Amino acid sequence: MAQRIVIDPVTRIEGHLRVEVEVENKMVVNAWTKGTMFRGIEQIIQGRDPRDAVFITERVCGVCMAAHGWTSATAIENASGADIPPVARLIRNLLAASLWLHDHVLHFYHLSALDYLDILAIKNYQGKDEKLLTVKEKILKLVEAGDTAPFTPRYNPDDYSVADPEVVTTVVSHYLDALKIQAKAKKMSAILGGKQPHQSSIVVGGVTGYPSVEQLQQFKHLLAQVAHFIKTIYVPDVVNLATGPLLPLAQSGFGEGPGNYLSYGGFTLDAQGEDKLFKAGFVRNNQMKRIESLDESKITEAVTSSWYKDSPPAHPWAGSTEVDLDKEKAYTFIKAPRYDGLPTEVGPLARMIISEHEPFFRLMEEYGIKPGAVARHLARAQEAVLICDAMFQWLRELEETLAQEKAAGQVNIHNTQAWEPPLAGKGAGLQEAPRGALGHWVEIADKKVKNYQMVVPTTWNISPRDDKGIRGPMEQALIGIPVNPNNPVNLVRVIRSFNPCLACAVHVVSPQGEKVYHILG
Amino acid sequence: MKKEQEFSPEKGYERLAKKGISRREFLKMCSLTCLAFGLDLSLVAKIADAAAGNLVKKPLVWLQGQGCTGCSESLLSAVDPGPEEILLDLLSVRFHPTLMAAAGEQAKDSLTQCIKEGNYILVLEGSIPTADPRFCMVEDRPFVDQFKEAAAKAELVVAVGSCACYGGIPRAGITGAKGARDVLGEGIKLVNLPSCPLKPERLAQTLIYYLGKNELPRLDEEGRPVVYYHHTLHDSCHRRLHYERGEFLQDWNDPQTKNWCLYYKGCKGMETFTDCSSYWWNEGANFCGAVGSPCAGCSQPKFYEQYSPLYANPREVK
Repeated sequence: MAQRIVIDPVTRIEGHLRVEVEVENKMVVNAWTKGTMFRGIEQIIQGRDPRDAVFITERVCGVCMAAHGWTSATAIENASGADIPPVARLIRNLLAASLWLHDHVLHFYHLSALDYLDILAIKNYQGKDEKLLTVKEKILKLVEAGDTAPFTPRYNPDDYSVADPEVVTTVVSHYLDALKIQAKAKKMSAILGGKQPHQSSIVVGGVTGYPSVEQLQQFKHLLAQVAHFIKTIYVPDVVNLATGPLLPLAQSGFGEGPGNYLSYGGFTLDAQGEDKLFKAGFVRNNQMKRIESLDESKITEAVTSSWYKDSPPAHPWAGSTEVDLDKEKAYTFIKAPRYDGLPTEVGPLARMIISEHEPFFRLMEEYGIKPGAVARHLARAQEAVLICDAMFQWLRELEETLAQEKAAGQVNIHNTQAWEPPLAGKGAGLQEAPRGALGHWVEIADKKVKNYQMVVPTTWNISPRDDKGIRGPMEQALIGIPVNPNNPVNLVRVIRSFNPCLACAVHVVSPQGEKVYHILG
Repeated sequence: MKKEQEFSPEKGYERLAKKGISRREFLKMCSLTCLAFGLDLSLVAKIADAAAGNLVKKPLVWLQGQGCTGCSESLLSAVDPGPEEILLDLLSVRFHPTLMAAAGEQAKDSLTQCIKEGNYILVLEGSIPTADPRFCMVEDRPFVDQFKEAAAKAELVVAVGSCACYGGIPRAGITGAKGARDVLGEGIKLVNLPSCPLKPERLAQTLIYYLGKNELPRLDEEGRPVVYYHHTLHDSCHRRLHYERGEFLQDWNDPQTKNWCLYYKGCKGMETFTDCSSYWWNEGANFCGAVGSPCAGCSQPKFYEQYSPLYANPREVK
C-alpha cells in the first residue's frame, strides 16, 4: 500500500511549489510536481505597448533578475529585425552574467547546502583555524540563545549528510562569506543596470547608459573579488563534497532526469549572434556524443495536467488557452513543454553536456559520476568559472570599444530606429538563464502586443504529465529515490538540485487577440 | 504593547551579543535610524534601550503571496553588515520560505506555533489574489486565508514591495490581485513600503524605529512612512534643471543630451513620491535616473496599470 508524502511549501526555492510522492518499501514510485500560484503575466502584456513587456517580464522573477527583461528585449528586437550596438550587447552580457554569479553562489550555499550538512556537527570542531573558530562560536552562541532560526527546524541529518566537523564548519563559514559575495555580484550588476533587483537600463533597442571610467573600475574590483571566491572557495567546496562525502550519491545517479537535454545557446560573443559561450543543441536519451542542432519548431506545450482549458499540444506561437480552475485531473498551473514530444531537462547540466565541456566530462569520468542531483551542482559550479573568464574578456572588449567610440565623438548604446514599436512583427528571444533555456515569443500587430508567450527553464524542469501521460523531468527524477517518510530529506535534495523558480514557471497561452478570460466555477 | 515583566533592555543587549552584535554596533544602527527619521541624536540611547528590550522576544514571520521574491533578494543586497543583514540576526525569523531550513510539515508547524504565540511582526511580500482563492494555494489552503489568520494575531503588518502594498503588476491581471490594506481593512496596524522591489533600508529602519519608540513613524495617506515618500522624484532629480529649461533627452546616444530630462521617455517622476535620487540603490551604486532610465512610478498606488505605457512620450499619447 503506497504511502503519500506531501511537501508543501517546498522552501529554499523561488515561489510556490507543492510536491507529492507515493512511497512503497521506502522508495518513491510516483510523483507529482505542482505549481500553486498564478499571476497571469502574459495576458497583462497583451494589448500593450511592446516596450512595457521588457519592464513587466523583468519582474516575473526577482531571483533571476535581468534574465527575463533581457530576453524580452531580444524578442521584440527580433520582431523589428533590429540590431543593437556592440556596446549595448557587451553591457547586457556583463549585467546578466553578474547575476549568474550571484545566483549560482546563492543557490549552492543558501538554498542547497543545508540539505547536506549536519550543522550541529560544528560543536565538535577541534581545529585551530581562527576564522573557523569564530564561526563555531557564532553558531554555538545561537544554540545557547535557544534560537537557531533559520538553520532550524530542519529535517534530521541522515546517512548521506556530512557530519565531519571540519568540513561542516568550513562550508558554514563559506555560507556566511557567500552572503557578501552574492551581494557584491548584485552590486556589480547594478552599476550597469541602475539597481538590482530589477535593473532598468535594458530597453528595447539597447541600453540607456554606459559606465564611466570610475564605474568600470568599481565593477572590475568587485568582479575580481567575486571571481576569486568562485574559483578558490565555491568550486573547491562543490568538487570536494561531490568527490568526497557525496560521492556515493553522485555515482548512483541519484536524481537523474529523463536523459534529454536542451540548450538555446547563451551569451552571444560576436555581432552576428552566431558564436555563443554556451552552445545550442539537444541531446536525446543520454546520447552525449550526438548533439542535435536546435530546431525551435519541435517545441510544444501540453496543457492536459494544467488548469487551462483543454487543447492539443501547441508551439508557443499557436494554441489558445483560458484558465480553468475546475478542470478534472489537472494539478498544476505549470504547462508541459516537450521537445520533439520528449520531456527535457534544461540548466547547467544540459549546458555542460551540450557544450561538450571537456574538463567537466573528465571529472565525471574520473570519479564515475553520473548525471543527477550532485552532477547538477557540479555543472553549476563549472559554468560559474566559464562565466567569470568570459566576463573579464567582455570587460576588455567594452573598454576598448568605449575608448574608440569616445574618440570618434559618440558612444552608441541604443538603436533609435528600434525605439518606436513596429506596426507588425513576430519575434523570438531565446537565451540561456541561470536555470536553463529561456524563451519569449512575441507577436505585434498595430504597434501593440497581440500575443506573448514565455516558456521558462522551470516550466521545462518542473513540468507535469503531458497529453500522453509522460511525467516531467523532476517527476521522473524523483522516481526510485530512497526515502524515509518521517524524514524525507532526499526528496528536497533532488528538488533543489534543479534550482526551481516557480514565479517564472507558471504561465498561460492567451487566445488570439482576445482579452476575455473565463473563470469557471 | 509589550508584556511588562518581559521587558528588559539588558537582556536584549545580552541576546544581541550572543548573536554576535555588540552594543556599539547596535547603537550605530539606531543612530542611522534616527538620522533617517530626522530624530535628534540625543534620543539614540533611549531608542536603543527600548528596541533592545523589545527584541528579546520579537519573532518575525515572512509570507509570500503572488510575488517574485525580489523583495527578499533586495534584503540580501547589503555587502557590508548593514541593517538589512542584521535584521535576520536580530529578529527571530521563524518563517521565511526562501531561507529557512525546514520544509513542508515542519515549516507549517513553525508557522502555526508562531501564530499561536502571537505578538510577532508579519511581513508580506507579493500580492493576494481575490478573484478566486485557488490562484495562490499553500498547503492546499488559499493563501488569502493563511495571510488573514496570520495578520489577525500579528502585532504589526508590514507590506513590502508594490505588490504587497497595492497589488503591483499582478493587479493588472485577471486574478483580482490586491495589496494587504485592501484585504485586511481597518483596524490592523499596517505600514506600506512600496517600490519594486523593496528598498531594503526602509524595512530595517522602520522596524528599529517601531521597536525603539513603541509607535509607528508618521505615515502618509497611502500608509507609507512620510520620511521616505516625502518628495517626488521630480523635486529631487539631478535632471530637474533641464526640465525647467525644456531640455528633453530624445536620443540616448547623443553625448550632448545624456543628462537631460527623461520626460519624453515616459518618466513618471512628477507624481512619484520616493527618495531614490537622494539615496541610491545597492549601497549607493546607482539608481534608474542615473543610468538613463525613466522612472516607472513604482512607489505609487497607481503602479503599474495606470502608468502604462511606461515609455511613451507623453506629448504623443492622446
